[in-house]
Amino acid sequence: MVTVDPSLAADVTKPKADNRQARTGWGLAAPALILMVLILLVPILVAGVLSFTNYSLGNAGFDWVGLQNYERLFTRSTYEKMFVATFTYVVTVVPISVGLGLGAALLVHSLGRIGDIYKTIYFLPVMATLLAMAIAWEFMLHPTIGMVNRTFEMACGTWLEVIPFFAGGCADGFPLWLGDRDYAIWVVCFIGIWQGFGFNMVLFLAGLTSVHRELYHAAEMDGARSGWERFRLVTWPALGPTTVFVVTISCIRAFQVFDTIEAFWAQGGGPNKSAYVMMFAIFEKGIQQNLIGIGSAITILFLLFVMFLTLIQRWLVERKVHY
Amino acid sequence: MSDLQIASVTKHFGETSVLKGVTLDVKDGEFISLVGPSGCGKSTLLRIIAGLETPTSGTIAIDGAEVTHLRAADRNLSMVFQSYALYPHLTVAENIAVPLQMRQMSALQRLPVLGDVLPGARAQKDDIAQAVRHAAEMLEIAALLDRKPGQLSGGQRQRVALGRALVRDPAAFLLDEPLSNLDAKLRVQTRAEIAELHRRLKATFIYVTHDQVEAMTMSDRIAVMMGGEILQCAAPDVIYEDPDDIRVAEFIGSPKINVLPVERNGTALTMFDQVLNSRLSIDSPKVMQMGLRPEALRLTQSAPRLTGRVVHLENLGAEVFAQVALGNDGSRVTLRAMPAQRQNLALGAQVGLSFDLNAAMIFDAGGARLRNVELAASRAAEVA
Repeated sequence: MVTVDPSLAADVTKPKADNRQARTGWGLAAPALILMVLILLVPILVAGVLSFTNYSLGNAGFDWVGLQNYERLFTRSTYEKMFVATFTYVVTVVPISVGLGLGAALLVHSLGRIGDIYKTIYFLPVMATLLAMAIAWEFMLHPTIGMVNRTFEMACGTWLEVIPFFAGGCADGFPLWLGDRDYAIWVVCFIGIWQGFGFNMVLFLAGLTSVHRELYHAAEMDGARSGWERFRLVTWPALGPTTVFVVTISCIRAFQVFDTIEAFWAQGGGPNKSAYVMMFAIFEKGIQQNLIGIGSAITILFLLFVMFLTLIQRWLVERKVHY
Repeated sequence: MSDLQIASVTKHFGETSVLKGVTLDVKDGEFISLVGPSGCGKSTLLRIIAGLETPTSGTIAIDGAEVTHLRAADRNLSMVFQSYALYPHLTVAENIAVPLQMRQMSALQRLPVLGDVLPGARAQKDDIAQAVRHAAEMLEIAALLDRKPGQLSGGQRQRVALGRALVRDPAAFLLDEPLSNLDAKLRVQTRAEIAELHRRLKATFIYVTHDQVEAMTMSDRIAVMMGGEILQCAAPDVIYEDPDDIRVAEFIGSPKINVLPVERNGTALTMFDQVLNSRLSIDSPKVMQMGLRPEALRLTQSAPRLTGRVVHLENLGAEVFAQVALGNDGSRVTLRAMPAQRQNLALGAQVGLSFDLNAAMIFDAGGARLRNVELAASRAAEVA
């Protein structure tokens, strides 16, 4: 008599079942995988390949130019201005909009029902179309008939002239704002902050709801007398993960600034290219001038920046703020 | 180490009145439990003592000095929270050090880098580190000092919270249901440890719990709270054996005390038309209630005062609790029996119950204890 060891029989059938399950699994995941590759990864690869060519839309072929596009990015003064404008914008807008967002969130959180009104008001610019808002700002900032300069002119002849800005403005005229290369990028920054901090505030408000109330009582019992001490001991550490996320999102959004520049200076990117940010450069080179090669190179550089920021965020979240 | 006086404290949240005039004197070094069902105001009272809530009226005094309007940080009290409320981003050592850093070091000295170079900061930090180590050793958590709260078990977190409370020398320790998040076994163990800690520190402890076993086993005195009032505040054995109010009698003791209706007929006390004794004074109320602890009832075959059918049995090994549905009105009483008597206690069996009138407590219809009635009753029993 031959007895069949049941465990052996199982060993024979098990791999088959595993295989079938694996095939079904791949089959089910395939549509999503194919879509992801087609609409997310392939375009990036194509951009990467095109950044080494001199391709133009409509041309039958292209020539490989090696690193020439990238070399231009780091040698031409136009692109130097592009980097200066982009980083000025990011370095200004991110800290201020995050700081204002946090401050507004703390204040709104400490209010009761009135807080909802503030929340809605601060969130309004986030909901509005930036392009339309930019046009409204353009009217307001018009050097002669704009609301801003008209308001400033009302200060002429009053004690406010003690302030050098008003003294200079009343004597020689107030700034041209959008037409002045010393002011242009700062105006764009201001609008970026005005538009963005409400979004950060909402994210921080969400983070604040997760702070355990009993921790504030514990801090009080432990002798944390001032609001600042409670903030340092309880609120700020608890907001760590939120802050990392908010900073990353703000950075990415700041790198992406485009609408305002396009609305203010559809040709050229600001007086003397002082507001020539990366997104606008991609648009101008790749679309308006049909220089796909250089446009792709800027795009790849842009993606690298964003990827780098995301990696820093992941590292921070895992190492520092995850308890 | 100090005494503490709470004088007619009330607290209203809008229309609802949570505390209705609570007065309590806590002696120096005493372990006092505030016990009561959920919503009785015990946690609110503790938070008022701590200074985390302000009373609507009334005063709190520590060591004779009034602190009612002093903020929590200035009252020199320590508190252990139900959720432990440890700072999640700090290690165990840093958590325990927080109360010392906040009180002993200036804001400048606490700054991350600058603080280290200031004169005296180093010595102070060493002192704090030593105090932290001492507290950790007392609670046997010295091995955990570098971990973060997220890496600890519930019991370990509980010890860290205790450590943070006892690292400085507060006027009193306030504990808000510190054991309710622990599993049953750990709770029994920690209960003993907290009681032992109290004996060792000789400090004033105010302990809030809804668990009457915790209150009975740890306290010098128990304050039973219900509906925003202290019904009775006395030593655990007094609370159990000589309660002032039927609600106290019902809350303390597991299984619950049996309550049977009794009446005065002329000068006789009757239960289910059966005369229990006949020496009642004529001015006692007509309708009364009699409380009988499960251990006061005993099985008997000859001339039982009560008869009924066993409807439920709980065998705990060392003792058996039987629920008996009375033949008179179907109400249930609980009886504690010895395991040896189990053969008489099959489910559905008819049993006869008797009790000693000495052990019975008489309450009026509203629930207040009638001590004069009971005295008469016990005297009658002696004569009989």
